[in-house]
Amino acid sequence: MNGAGRLSEMPMGPGADRPPETRGVARDGVRLLVSADGEERAHRFSDLPSLLRAGDLLVVNESATVPASLPAHSALGNFRVNLSTAYGSDLWVGEPRWGFGQPGPLPLDAGTPLDVGDVPCTLVAGFPGIPRLVFLRARGDLRTEMRRVGVPIRYGYAAAEFPLEEYQTVFARVPGSAEMPSAARPFTTRIVHRLRERGIAFAPIVLHAGVSSLETRDFPPGALPVFPEPFEVSASTVDAILRTRSQGGRVVAVGTTVVRALESATDECGLRPARGFTRIYLSPQRPIRSIDGLITGFHEAQSTHLALLAAFVGEERLRQAYEVAARDGYLWHEFGDSHLLLPSRAR
Amino acid sequence: MTATGRSPARVAVVTGASRGLGAAVAQFLARQGYALIVNARDPTRLSETVAEIERSGASVFAVPGDVTDARTQSALEHVAHQLGRVDLLFNNASEPGPSPLPRLSELRSEDFEHIFRVNVLAPLAITQRLLPLLRTAGGRVVNISSDAALGGYPGWGGYGASKAALDLLSLTLANELKGSGISVVSVDPGDMRTSMHQAAFPGEDISDRPLPEITLPFWAWLLNRDPGEVSGHRFRAQSDRWEISES
Repeated sequence: MNGAGRLSEMPMGPGADRPPETRGVARDGVRLLVSADGEERAHRFSDLPSLLRAGDLLVVNESATVPASLPAHSALGNFRVNLSTAYGSDLWVGEPRWGFGQPGPLPLDAGTPLDVGDVPCTLVAGFPGIPRLVFLRARGDLRTEMRRVGVPIRYGYAAAEFPLEEYQTVFARVPGSAEMPSAARPFTTRIVHRLRERGIAFAPIVLHAGVSSLETRDFPPGALPVFPEPFEVSASTVDAILRTRSQGGRVVAVGTTVVRALESATDECGLRPARGFTRIYLSPQRPIRSIDGLITGFHEAQSTHLALLAAFVGEERLRQAYEVAARDGYLWHEFGDSHLLLPSRAR
Repeated sequence: MTATGRSPARVAVVTGASRGLGAAVAQFLARQGYALIVNARDPTRLSETVAEIERSGASVFAVPGDVTDARTQSALEHVAHQLGRVDLLFNNASEPGPSPLPRLSELRSEDFEHIFRVNVLAPLAITQRLLPLLRTAGGRVVNISSDAALGGYPGWGGYGASKAALDLLSLTLANELKGSGISVVSVDPGDMRTSMHQAAFPGEDISDRPLPEITLPFWAWLLNRDPGEVSGHRFRAQSDRWEISES
Protein backbone atom coordinates (compact mmCIF):
# COMPACT_ATOMS: atom_id res chain seq x y z
CA MET A 1 0.00 0.00 0.00
CA ASN A 2 1.32 3.48 -0.77
CA GLY A 3 1.74 6.32 1.71
CA ALA A 4 -1.51 8.02 0.81
CA GLY A 5 -3.34 4.73 1.37
CA ARG A 6 -2.04 4.47 4.93
CA LEU A 7 -2.87 8.15 5.53
CA SER A 8 -6.48 7.35 4.75
CA GLU A 9 -6.53 5.10 7.84
CA MET A 10 -5.13 7.69 10.25
CA PRO A 11 -6.94 7.68 13.63
CA MET A 12 -9.62 10.31 14.13
CA GLY A 13 -11.18 11.65 17.31
CA PRO A 14 -14.50 13.36 17.96
CA GLY A 15 -15.29 16.58 16.07
CA ALA A 16 -16.05 19.94 17.64
CA ASP A 17 -19.48 21.02 16.43
CA ARG A 18 -19.35 24.56 17.87
CA PRO A 19 -16.86 27.20 18.99
CA PRO A 20 -15.10 26.48 22.31
CA GLU A 21 -16.54 29.69 23.81
CA THR A 22 -20.02 28.19 23.52
CA ARG A 23 -18.72 25.07 25.31
CA GLY A 24 -17.46 27.12 28.26
CA VAL A 25 -13.83 27.13 27.07
CA ALA A 26 -11.95 30.34 26.25
CA ARG A 27 -10.61 30.77 22.70
CA ASP A 28 -7.08 30.33 23.99
CA GLY A 29 -8.16 27.67 26.45
CA VAL A 30 -8.49 24.81 23.93
CA ARG A 31 -6.21 21.84 24.43
CA LEU A 32 -2.80 21.86 22.80
CA LEU A 33 -1.07 18.60 22.04
CA VAL A 34 2.67 19.10 21.71
CA SER A 35 4.57 16.61 19.57
CA ALA A 36 8.27 17.21 20.27
CA ASP A 37 11.31 15.13 21.19
CA GLY A 38 9.57 11.97 20.03
CA GLU A 39 6.74 12.21 22.54
CA GLU A 40 3.33 13.78 23.05
CA ARG A 41 2.66 16.19 25.91
CA ALA A 42 -0.70 17.64 26.93
CA HIS A 43 -1.02 21.43 27.32
CA ARG A 44 -3.50 24.27 27.00
CA PHE A 45 -3.11 26.68 24.08
CA SER A 46 -2.41 29.45 26.59
CA ASP A 47 0.84 27.62 27.45
CA LEU A 48 2.22 28.44 23.99
CA PRO A 49 4.47 31.33 25.12
CA SER A 50 6.34 28.97 27.46
CA LEU A 51 6.72 26.35 24.70
CA LEU A 52 8.53 28.69 22.31
CA ARG A 53 11.84 30.51 22.76
CA ALA A 54 12.99 34.09 22.35
CA GLY A 55 14.13 34.48 18.76
CA ASP A 56 11.48 32.13 17.34
CA LEU A 57 9.24 33.50 14.60
CA LEU A 58 5.55 32.75 14.15
CA VAL A 59 4.36 33.11 10.55
CA VAL A 60 0.64 33.84 10.37
CA ASN A 61 -1.99 34.06 7.63
CA GLU A 62 -3.66 37.48 7.50
CA SER A 63 -6.50 36.31 5.28
CA ALA A 64 -9.91 37.11 6.74
CA THR A 65 -12.91 34.84 6.30
CA VAL A 66 -15.75 36.13 4.11
CA PRO A 67 -19.42 35.07 4.35
CA ALA A 68 -19.04 32.90 1.25
CA SER A 69 -22.18 30.75 1.38
CA LEU A 70 -25.07 32.33 -0.53
CA PRO A 71 -28.59 31.21 -1.37
CA ALA A 72 -28.93 30.40 -5.06
CA HIS A 73 -31.69 29.66 -7.51
CA SER A 74 -32.05 28.22 -11.00
CA ALA A 75 -34.56 26.17 -12.97
CA LEU A 76 -33.54 23.34 -10.61
CA GLY A 77 -35.00 25.22 -7.64
CA ASN A 78 -33.31 26.57 -4.53
CA PHE A 79 -29.85 25.54 -3.47
CA ARG A 80 -26.65 27.16 -2.14
CA VAL A 81 -23.48 28.33 -3.79
CA ASN A 82 -20.33 28.39 -1.68
CA LEU A 83 -17.98 30.86 -3.35
CA SER A 84 -14.45 29.50 -3.14
CA THR A 85 -12.09 31.77 -5.04
CA ALA A 86 -12.34 35.06 -6.94
CA TYR A 87 -10.37 34.96 -10.20
CA GLY A 88 -11.54 38.43 -11.20
CA SER A 89 -14.28 40.85 -10.21
CA ASP A 90 -16.85 38.93 -12.27
CA LEU A 91 -15.31 35.44 -12.46
CA TRP A 92 -15.47 33.05 -9.51
CA VAL A 93 -15.01 29.42 -8.69
CA GLY A 94 -17.87 28.19 -6.57
CA GLU A 95 -19.45 25.03 -5.28
CA PRO A 96 -23.20 24.61 -5.86
CA ARG A 97 -24.62 22.44 -3.04
CA TRP A 98 -28.10 21.29 -2.15
CA GLY A 99 -27.56 22.61 1.36
CA PHE A 100 -25.03 23.14 4.14
CA GLY A 101 -24.88 19.45 4.91
CA GLN A 102 -25.86 18.19 1.47
CA PRO A 103 -23.10 18.27 -1.11
CA GLY A 104 -23.38 18.42 -4.89
CA PRO A 105 -22.63 18.03 -7.63
CA LEU A 106 -25.86 19.50 -8.97
CA PRO A 107 -26.99 18.65 -12.52
CA LEU A 108 -26.06 22.06 -13.92
CA ASP A 109 -24.68 22.27 -17.46
CA ALA A 110 -22.24 24.84 -18.76
CA GLY A 111 -24.18 27.86 -19.98
CA THR A 112 -26.90 27.49 -17.32
CA PRO A 113 -28.19 30.76 -15.87
CA LEU A 114 -28.53 30.94 -12.09
CA ASP A 115 -28.96 33.61 -9.45
CA VAL A 116 -26.48 33.77 -6.59
CA GLY A 117 -28.23 35.92 -4.05
CA ASP A 118 -29.90 38.34 -6.47
CA VAL A 119 -26.90 38.51 -8.80
CA PRO A 120 -27.52 36.90 -12.21
CA CYS A 121 -24.73 34.48 -13.04
CA THR A 122 -23.81 32.04 -15.80
CA LEU A 123 -22.16 28.70 -15.25
CA VAL A 124 -19.12 29.11 -17.52
CA ALA A 125 -17.53 25.68 -17.19
CA GLY A 126 -16.92 22.88 -14.77
CA PHE A 127 -13.62 22.96 -12.93
CA PRO A 128 -11.38 20.39 -14.64
CA GLY A 129 -11.05 17.22 -12.58
CA ILE A 130 -13.17 18.47 -9.66
CA PRO A 131 -16.83 17.87 -10.50
CA ARG A 132 -18.16 19.77 -7.50
CA LEU A 133 -16.61 23.08 -8.51
CA VAL A 134 -17.69 25.38 -11.33
CA PHE A 135 -16.64 28.68 -12.87
CA LEU A 136 -19.31 31.34 -12.50
CA ARG A 137 -19.55 34.60 -14.37
CA ALA A 138 -21.42 37.22 -12.36
CA ARG A 139 -23.31 40.19 -13.76
CA GLY A 140 -23.07 42.09 -10.51
CA ASP A 141 -20.81 42.41 -7.51
CA LEU A 142 -20.72 39.14 -5.59
CA ARG A 143 -18.55 40.67 -2.85
CA THR A 144 -21.33 43.13 -2.04
CA GLU A 145 -23.91 40.35 -2.33
CA MET A 146 -21.92 38.25 0.17
CA ARG A 147 -22.09 41.03 2.73
CA ARG A 148 -25.83 41.33 2.09
CA VAL A 149 -27.00 37.70 2.14
CA GLY A 150 -23.93 35.52 2.67
CA VAL A 151 -23.18 33.47 5.78
CA PRO A 152 -20.01 31.60 6.72
CA ILE A 153 -19.62 28.24 4.99
CA ARG A 154 -20.48 25.39 7.32
CA TYR A 155 -21.00 21.68 6.93
CA GLY A 156 -23.37 19.11 8.34
CA TYR A 157 -21.34 18.57 11.50
CA ALA A 158 -21.83 22.19 12.69
CA ALA A 159 -24.42 22.42 15.44
CA ALA A 160 -25.84 25.73 14.21
CA GLU A 161 -25.14 28.85 12.21
CA PHE A 162 -22.51 30.97 13.98
CA PRO A 163 -21.73 34.62 13.29
CA LEU A 164 -18.79 35.56 11.04
CA GLU A 165 -16.74 36.75 14.06
CA GLU A 166 -16.52 33.13 15.18
CA TYR A 167 -14.69 32.40 11.93
CA GLN A 168 -12.15 35.21 12.21
CA THR A 169 -8.68 34.95 13.65
CA VAL A 170 -6.97 37.74 15.56
CA PHE A 171 -4.63 38.17 12.55
CA ALA A 172 -7.44 38.61 9.96
CA ARG A 173 -6.78 41.72 7.87
CA VAL A 174 -7.31 40.92 4.16
CA PRO A 175 -10.78 39.53 3.29
CA GLY A 176 -10.77 36.56 0.93
CA SER A 177 -10.88 33.13 2.58
CA ALA A 178 -13.97 31.06 1.88
CA GLU A 179 -13.17 29.06 5.00
CA MET A 180 -11.34 30.17 8.12
CA PRO A 181 -7.59 29.54 8.24
CA SER A 182 -8.44 27.90 11.55
CA ALA A 183 -5.05 27.09 13.06
CA ALA A 184 -4.80 30.68 14.32
CA ARG A 185 -8.26 30.69 15.89
CA PRO A 186 -7.01 30.06 19.48
CA PHE A 187 -4.67 33.09 19.35
CA THR A 188 -5.98 36.03 21.37
CA THR A 189 -4.54 39.52 21.83
CA ARG A 190 -3.52 38.37 25.31
CA ILE A 191 -1.47 35.43 23.94
CA VAL A 192 0.02 37.55 21.16
CA HIS A 193 1.10 40.13 23.75
CA ARG A 194 2.70 37.47 25.98
CA LEU A 195 4.51 35.92 23.02
CA ARG A 196 5.90 39.32 21.98
CA GLU A 197 7.01 39.98 25.56
CA ARG A 198 8.98 36.73 25.48
CA GLY A 199 10.82 37.87 22.35
CA ILE A 200 8.84 35.79 19.88
CA ALA A 201 8.15 37.71 16.67
CA PHE A 202 5.37 37.54 14.07
CA ALA A 203 5.50 37.78 10.28
CA PRO A 204 2.47 37.69 7.93
CA ILE A 205 1.64 35.96 4.68
CA VAL A 206 -1.69 35.90 2.86
CA LEU A 207 -3.30 32.79 1.43
CA HIS A 208 -7.01 32.89 0.72
CA ALA A 209 -8.32 29.42 1.52
CA GLY A 210 -10.96 28.00 -0.81
CA VAL A 211 -13.66 25.49 0.07
CA SER A 212 -12.50 22.36 1.84
CA SER A 213 -15.53 20.20 1.14
CA LEU A 214 -13.96 18.23 -1.64
CA GLU A 215 -11.40 16.73 0.66
CA THR A 216 -13.89 14.12 1.61
CA ARG A 217 -14.36 10.69 0.20
CA ASP A 218 -14.78 11.75 -3.46
CA PHE A 219 -11.32 10.81 -4.51
CA PRO A 220 -9.20 7.68 -4.34
CA PRO A 221 -6.25 7.84 -1.94
CA GLY A 222 -3.29 9.43 -3.64
CA ALA A 223 -5.46 11.32 -6.13
CA LEU A 224 -6.46 14.24 -3.92
CA PRO A 225 -6.97 17.28 -6.09
CA VAL A 226 -5.65 20.65 -5.04
CA PHE A 227 -7.08 23.70 -6.72
CA PRO A 228 -5.34 27.06 -7.07
CA GLU A 229 -5.58 29.62 -4.27
CA PRO A 230 -4.28 33.22 -4.18
CA PHE A 231 -1.18 33.76 -2.04
CA GLU A 232 1.40 36.40 -1.27
CA VAL A 233 4.70 36.25 0.62
CA SER A 234 6.19 39.72 1.07
CA ALA A 235 9.84 40.75 1.01
CA SER A 236 9.71 41.79 4.66
CA THR A 237 8.43 38.35 5.69
CA VAL A 238 11.18 36.66 3.65
CA ASP A 239 13.72 38.89 5.44
CA ALA A 240 12.26 38.04 8.86
CA ILE A 241 12.42 34.31 8.13
CA LEU A 242 15.99 34.40 6.83
CA ARG A 243 17.10 36.54 9.78
CA THR A 244 15.42 34.19 12.28
CA ARG A 245 17.12 31.16 10.82
CA SER A 246 20.53 32.81 10.57
CA GLN A 247 20.29 33.67 14.28
CA GLY A 248 19.34 30.13 15.27
CA GLY A 249 15.64 30.80 15.86
CA ARG A 250 12.85 28.52 14.73
CA VAL A 251 10.30 29.38 12.07
CA VAL A 252 6.90 28.13 13.21
CA ALA A 253 4.03 28.20 10.72
CA VAL A 254 0.56 28.86 12.10
CA GLY A 255 -1.54 26.67 9.84
CA THR A 256 -1.13 24.57 6.74
CA THR A 257 -2.00 27.61 4.59
CA VAL A 258 1.20 29.25 5.81
CA VAL A 259 3.24 26.17 4.92
CA ARG A 260 1.71 26.11 1.44
CA ALA A 261 2.44 29.81 0.91
CA LEU A 262 6.05 29.50 2.09
CA GLU A 263 6.71 26.36 0.06
CA SER A 264 5.15 28.07 -2.95
CA ALA A 265 7.58 30.95 -2.48
CA THR A 266 10.56 28.56 -2.35
CA ASP A 267 12.46 27.68 -5.50
CA GLU A 268 15.88 26.12 -6.22
CA CYS A 269 17.53 29.26 -4.86
CA GLY A 270 15.53 29.21 -1.62
CA LEU A 271 12.81 31.46 -0.21
CA ARG A 272 11.99 34.67 -2.12
CA PRO A 273 9.02 37.06 -2.24
CA ALA A 274 6.18 35.68 -4.35
CA ARG A 275 2.62 36.48 -5.34
CA GLY A 276 0.12 34.61 -7.48
CA PHE A 277 -2.01 31.48 -7.30
CA THR A 278 -0.71 28.16 -6.00
CA ARG A 279 -2.00 24.61 -6.05
CA ILE A 280 1.14 23.09 -4.64
CA TYR A 281 0.48 19.64 -3.16
CA LEU A 282 2.69 18.86 -0.17
CA SER A 283 3.01 15.18 0.57
CA PRO A 284 5.72 12.78 1.77
CA GLN A 285 6.98 12.67 -1.83
CA ARG A 286 7.92 16.34 -1.54
CA PRO A 287 9.83 17.30 1.60
CA ILE A 288 9.05 20.56 3.43
CA ARG A 289 12.09 22.78 4.01
CA SER A 290 10.70 26.19 4.85
CA ILE A 291 9.64 25.68 8.49
CA ASP A 292 10.89 24.22 11.78
CA GLY A 293 7.54 23.94 13.54
CA LEU A 294 3.84 23.96 12.83
CA ILE A 295 0.72 24.84 14.80
CA THR A 296 -2.38 23.28 13.30
CA GLY A 297 -5.65 21.57 14.12
CA PHE A 298 -6.53 17.88 13.85
CA HIS A 299 -7.30 16.84 10.32
CA GLU A 300 -9.54 14.19 8.81
CA ALA A 301 -8.09 11.06 7.34
CA GLN A 302 -7.88 11.37 3.56
CA SER A 303 -7.15 15.08 3.44
CA THR A 304 -4.45 17.14 1.79
CA HIS A 305 -3.69 18.66 5.22
CA LEU A 306 -2.78 15.24 6.54
CA ALA A 307 -0.48 14.57 3.58
CA LEU A 308 1.23 17.89 4.36
CA LEU A 309 1.71 16.95 8.03
CA ALA A 310 3.14 13.58 7.01
CA ALA A 311 5.52 15.42 4.67
CA PHE A 312 6.69 17.52 7.62
CA VAL A 313 7.12 15.01 10.46
CA GLY A 314 6.92 11.65 8.69
CA GLU A 315 3.98 9.34 8.59
CA GLU A 316 4.93 7.13 11.53
CA ARG A 317 5.55 10.13 13.78
CA LEU A 318 2.20 11.59 12.75
CA ARG A 319 0.41 8.31 13.43
CA GLN A 320 1.86 8.20 16.95
CA ALA A 321 0.55 11.73 17.62
CA TYR A 322 -2.88 11.00 16.14
CA GLU A 323 -3.23 7.79 18.17
CA VAL A 324 -2.63 9.80 21.34
CA ALA A 325 -4.97 12.60 20.20
CA ALA A 326 -7.78 10.21 19.32
CA ARG A 327 -7.30 8.16 22.51
CA ASP A 328 -7.29 11.26 24.73
CA GLY A 329 -10.33 12.84 23.13
CA TYR A 330 -8.77 15.85 21.41
CA LEU A 331 -11.37 17.55 19.23
CA TRP A 332 -11.17 17.62 15.42
CA HIS A 333 -12.46 20.31 12.96
CA GLU A 334 -12.06 24.10 12.82
CA PHE A 335 -13.47 24.76 16.30
CA GLY A 336 -11.46 21.92 17.84
CA ASP A 337 -8.17 21.54 19.68
CA SER A 338 -4.70 22.49 18.62
CA HIS A 339 -1.50 20.63 17.75
CA LEU A 340 2.07 21.94 17.91
CA LEU A 341 4.59 19.92 15.93
CA LEU A 342 8.24 20.62 16.69
CA PRO A 343 10.19 17.80 15.10
CA SER A 344 13.84 17.65 16.11
CA ARG A 345 15.97 17.92 13.04
CA ALA A 346 19.63 18.33 12.35
CA ARG A 347 20.21 21.78 10.90
CA MET B 1 -22.92 35.99 -40.70
CA THR B 2 -22.02 39.64 -40.62
CA ALA B 3 -20.50 41.81 -37.96
CA THR B 4 -23.21 44.38 -37.58
CA GLY B 5 -25.15 45.95 -34.76
CA ARG B 6 -24.05 47.21 -31.40
CA SER B 7 -20.34 46.72 -30.73
CA PRO B 8 -19.80 44.00 -28.14
CA ALA B 9 -18.29 44.46 -24.70
CA ARG B 10 -15.19 42.34 -25.30
CA VAL B 11 -13.78 40.74 -28.43
CA ALA B 12 -11.37 37.80 -28.66
CA VAL B 13 -9.61 36.53 -31.78
CA VAL B 14 -8.66 32.85 -31.57
CA THR B 15 -6.67 31.12 -34.32
CA GLY B 16 -6.69 27.35 -34.64
CA ALA B 17 -10.08 27.37 -32.94
CA SER B 18 -11.79 24.36 -34.52
CA ARG B 19 -10.30 21.74 -32.21
CA GLY B 20 -8.23 21.14 -29.11
CA LEU B 21 -6.99 24.04 -27.01
CA GLY B 22 -8.33 26.74 -29.38
CA ALA B 23 -11.88 25.35 -29.30
CA ALA B 24 -11.86 24.90 -25.52
CA VAL B 25 -10.61 28.44 -24.92
CA ALA B 26 -13.02 29.97 -27.47
CA GLN B 27 -15.98 28.28 -25.75
CA PHE B 28 -14.73 29.35 -22.30
CA LEU B 29 -14.43 32.97 -23.47
CA ALA B 30 -17.82 32.94 -25.19
CA ARG B 31 -19.53 31.88 -21.96
CA GLN B 32 -17.83 34.81 -20.24
CA GLY B 33 -19.47 37.22 -22.64
CA TYR B 34 -16.70 37.72 -25.19
CA ALA B 35 -17.65 38.06 -28.84
CA LEU B 36 -15.46 35.64 -30.77
CA ILE B 37 -13.63 35.81 -34.07
CA VAL B 38 -12.51 32.26 -34.72
CA ASN B 39 -10.16 30.95 -37.36
CA ALA B 40 -9.16 27.48 -38.54
CA ARG B 41 -8.05 25.92 -41.82
CA ASP B 42 -10.94 23.46 -42.19
CA PRO B 43 -14.17 25.42 -42.84
CA THR B 44 -16.43 22.45 -42.07
CA ARG B 45 -14.90 21.76 -38.68
CA LEU B 46 -14.78 25.49 -37.95
CA SER B 47 -18.51 25.81 -38.63
CA GLU B 48 -19.13 22.98 -36.14
CA THR B 49 -17.20 24.91 -33.48
CA VAL B 50 -19.13 28.06 -34.37
CA ALA B 51 -22.46 26.23 -33.97
CA GLU B 52 -21.30 24.88 -30.61
CA ILE B 53 -20.31 28.36 -29.39
CA GLU B 54 -23.52 29.95 -30.70
CA ARG B 55 -25.49 27.56 -28.53
CA SER B 56 -24.20 29.51 -25.52
CA GLY B 57 -25.73 32.66 -26.99
CA ALA B 58 -22.46 34.37 -27.87
CA SER B 59 -21.70 36.30 -31.05
CA VAL B 60 -19.17 34.41 -33.13
CA PHE B 61 -17.64 35.17 -36.51
CA ALA B 62 -15.81 32.54 -38.53
CA VAL B 63 -12.74 33.35 -40.63
CA PRO B 64 -11.68 30.10 -42.25
CA GLY B 65 -8.24 29.85 -43.85
CA ASP B 66 -4.57 29.27 -43.32
CA VAL B 67 -3.01 31.83 -40.96
CA THR B 68 -0.02 32.16 -43.29
CA ASP B 69 -2.30 33.36 -46.07
CA ALA B 70 -2.45 37.16 -46.33
CA ARG B 71 -6.12 36.88 -47.31
CA THR B 72 -6.93 35.10 -44.02
CA GLN B 73 -4.97 37.71 -42.06
CA SER B 74 -6.75 40.50 -43.88
CA ALA B 75 -10.17 38.91 -43.25
CA LEU B 76 -9.40 38.66 -39.52
CA GLU B 77 -8.43 42.33 -39.53
CA HIS B 78 -11.57 43.26 -41.46
CA VAL B 79 -13.99 41.50 -39.08
CA ALA B 80 -12.14 42.88 -36.06
CA HIS B 81 -12.50 46.42 -37.44
CA GLN B 82 -16.20 45.90 -37.87
CA LEU B 83 -16.47 44.85 -34.23
CA GLY B 84 -14.39 47.88 -33.30
CA ARG B 85 -12.02 46.41 -30.74
CA VAL B 86 -9.77 43.46 -29.86
CA ASP B 87 -9.36 42.63 -26.18
CA LEU B 88 -7.56 39.36 -26.72
CA LEU B 89 -5.55 37.90 -29.57
CA PHE B 90 -4.97 34.21 -28.90
CA ASN B 91 -2.27 33.09 -31.35
CA ASN B 92 -2.85 29.36 -31.06
CA ALA B 93 -2.69 27.89 -34.59
CA SER B 94 0.48 25.82 -34.70
CA GLU B 95 2.29 23.50 -37.08
CA PRO B 96 4.26 20.62 -35.54
CA GLY B 97 5.82 19.61 -38.87
CA PRO B 98 5.69 16.29 -40.73
CA SER B 99 4.17 13.29 -38.95
CA PRO B 100 5.97 11.33 -37.58
CA LEU B 101 8.32 14.09 -36.44
CA PRO B 102 11.63 13.82 -38.29
CA ARG B 103 14.98 14.30 -36.58
CA LEU B 104 16.80 17.48 -37.55
CA SER B 105 19.20 15.41 -39.68
CA GLU B 106 16.20 14.59 -41.89
CA LEU B 107 14.10 17.77 -41.59
CA ARG B 108 13.56 19.16 -45.09
CA SER B 109 14.09 22.88 -45.35
CA GLU B 110 10.68 23.43 -47.00
CA ASP B 111 9.03 21.74 -44.00
CA PHE B 112 11.11 23.82 -41.60
CA GLU B 113 10.16 26.98 -43.49
CA HIS B 114 6.48 26.03 -43.30
CA ILE B 115 6.74 25.48 -39.52
CA PHE B 116 8.26 28.95 -39.14
CA ARG B 117 5.67 30.58 -41.38
CA VAL B 118 2.80 29.16 -39.27
CA ASN B 119 4.34 29.43 -35.80
CA VAL B 120 6.39 32.64 -36.02
CA LEU B 121 5.64 34.79 -39.06
CA ALA B 122 1.84 34.39 -38.98
CA PRO B 123 1.32 35.30 -35.30
CA LEU B 124 3.53 38.35 -35.73
CA ALA B 125 1.73 39.42 -38.91
CA ILE B 126 -1.69 39.05 -37.26
CA THR B 127 -0.48 40.93 -34.18
CA GLN B 128 0.83 43.75 -36.38
CA ARG B 129 -2.50 44.02 -38.18
CA LEU B 130 -4.52 44.07 -34.95
CA LEU B 131 -2.25 46.43 -32.98
CA PRO B 132 -4.41 49.55 -33.46
CA LEU B 133 -7.50 47.72 -32.18
CA LEU B 134 -5.54 46.11 -29.34
CA ARG B 135 -4.26 49.54 -28.38
CA THR B 136 -7.79 50.99 -28.19
CA ALA B 137 -8.98 48.17 -25.95
CA GLY B 138 -5.85 47.85 -23.78
CA GLY B 139 -5.79 44.31 -25.15
CA ARG B 140 -3.73 41.21 -24.56
CA VAL B 141 -1.73 39.08 -26.94
CA VAL B 142 -1.27 35.44 -25.89
CA ASN B 143 1.22 33.43 -27.93
CA ILE B 144 0.97 29.67 -27.46
CA SER B 145 4.42 28.23 -26.89
CA SER B 146 5.61 24.80 -25.85
CA ASP B 147 8.08 23.11 -23.53
CA ALA B 148 9.73 22.01 -26.78
CA ALA B 149 11.02 25.61 -26.98
CA LEU B 150 13.39 24.74 -24.14
CA GLY B 151 13.59 20.97 -24.16
CA GLY B 152 15.80 19.91 -27.06
CA TYR B 153 13.59 16.85 -27.51
CA PRO B 154 14.61 14.60 -30.43
CA GLY B 155 12.14 15.07 -33.29
CA TRP B 156 10.87 18.38 -31.94
CA GLY B 157 13.79 20.50 -33.21
CA GLY B 158 11.95 22.35 -35.96
CA TYR B 159 8.83 22.97 -33.89
CA GLY B 160 10.86 23.76 -30.75
CA ALA B 161 13.04 26.27 -32.61
CA SER B 162 9.92 28.01 -33.93
CA LYS B 163 8.39 28.21 -30.43
CA ALA B 164 11.67 29.53 -29.01
CA ALA B 165 11.55 32.21 -31.70
CA LEU B 166 7.93 32.96 -30.78
CA ASP B 167 8.92 33.29 -27.11
CA LEU B 168 11.52 35.88 -28.09
CA LEU B 169 8.99 37.75 -30.24
CA SER B 170 6.63 37.83 -27.25
CA LEU B 171 9.26 39.22 -24.89
CA THR B 172 10.50 41.78 -27.41
CA LEU B 173 6.99 42.92 -28.30
CA ALA B 174 6.17 43.22 -24.60
CA ASN B 175 9.21 45.46 -24.11
CA GLU B 176 8.45 47.52 -27.22
CA LEU B 177 4.82 47.96 -26.19
CA LYS B 178 5.52 48.85 -22.57
CA GLY B 179 3.32 51.77 -21.60
CA SER B 180 0.98 51.25 -24.57
CA GLY B 181 -1.56 49.32 -22.49
CA ILE B 182 -1.05 46.19 -24.61
CA SER B 183 0.30 43.13 -22.82
CA VAL B 184 2.07 40.24 -24.53
CA VAL B 185 2.64 36.89 -22.89
CA SER B 186 3.89 33.53 -23.97
CA VAL B 187 2.27 30.41 -22.52
CA ASP B 188 3.34 26.78 -22.54
CA PRO B 189 0.00 24.97 -22.15
CA GLY B 190 1.68 21.66 -21.21
CA ASP B 191 1.03 18.21 -22.62
CA MET B 192 -2.56 17.70 -23.70
CA ARG B 193 -4.68 15.16 -25.52
CA THR B 194 -5.08 17.01 -28.83
CA SER B 195 -4.99 16.07 -32.48
CA MET B 196 -1.71 17.96 -32.82
CA HIS B 197 -0.16 15.90 -30.08
CA GLN B 198 -1.52 12.73 -31.68
CA ALA B 199 0.01 13.73 -35.02
CA ALA B 200 3.37 14.05 -33.31
CA PHE B 201 3.01 10.52 -31.93
CA PRO B 202 1.09 8.64 -34.65
CA GLY B 203 -0.33 5.34 -33.46
CA GLU B 204 0.67 5.95 -29.83
CA ASP B 205 -1.79 5.93 -26.96
CA ILE B 206 -1.93 9.50 -25.61
CA SER B 207 -5.05 8.93 -23.48
CA ASP B 208 -3.01 9.54 -20.32
CA ARG B 209 -2.71 13.22 -21.32
CA PRO B 210 -5.34 15.60 -19.91
CA LEU B 211 -7.88 17.26 -22.19
CA PRO B 212 -7.25 20.94 -23.06
CA GLU B 213 -9.90 21.93 -20.48
CA ILE B 214 -7.23 21.26 -17.83
CA THR B 215 -5.84 24.71 -18.69
CA LEU B 216 -9.09 26.68 -18.16
CA PRO B 217 -8.26 27.75 -14.57
CA PHE B 218 -4.98 29.18 -15.85
CA TRP B 219 -6.71 31.26 -18.55
CA ALA B 220 -9.23 32.43 -15.96
CA TRP B 221 -6.31 33.58 -13.83
CA LEU B 222 -4.20 35.12 -16.60
CA LEU B 223 -7.00 37.07 -18.28
CA ASN B 224 -8.04 38.60 -14.95
CA ARG B 225 -4.59 39.87 -13.99
CA ASP B 226 -3.57 43.45 -14.54
CA PRO B 227 -2.06 43.41 -18.08
CA GLY B 228 1.00 45.38 -16.99
CA GLU B 229 1.78 42.82 -14.28
CA VAL B 230 1.97 39.87 -16.65
CA SER B 231 3.31 41.40 -19.87
CA GLY B 232 6.66 39.98 -20.95
CA HIS B 233 6.28 36.83 -18.87
CA ARG B 234 6.30 33.23 -20.00
CA PHE B 235 3.90 31.00 -18.10
CA ARG B 236 3.28 27.28 -17.82
CA ALA B 237 -0.48 26.70 -17.69
CA GLN B 238 -0.22 23.33 -15.92
CA SER B 239 2.36 24.44 -13.37
CA ASP B 240 1.46 24.21 -9.67
CA ARG B 241 2.10 27.96 -9.29
CA TRP B 242 1.22 30.94 -11.45
CA GLU B 243 3.29 33.83 -10.25
CA ILE B 244 3.63 37.49 -10.91
CA SER B 245 7.25 38.38 -10.29
CA GLU B 246 7.99 41.53 -8.36
CA SER B 247 9.29 44.30 -10.57
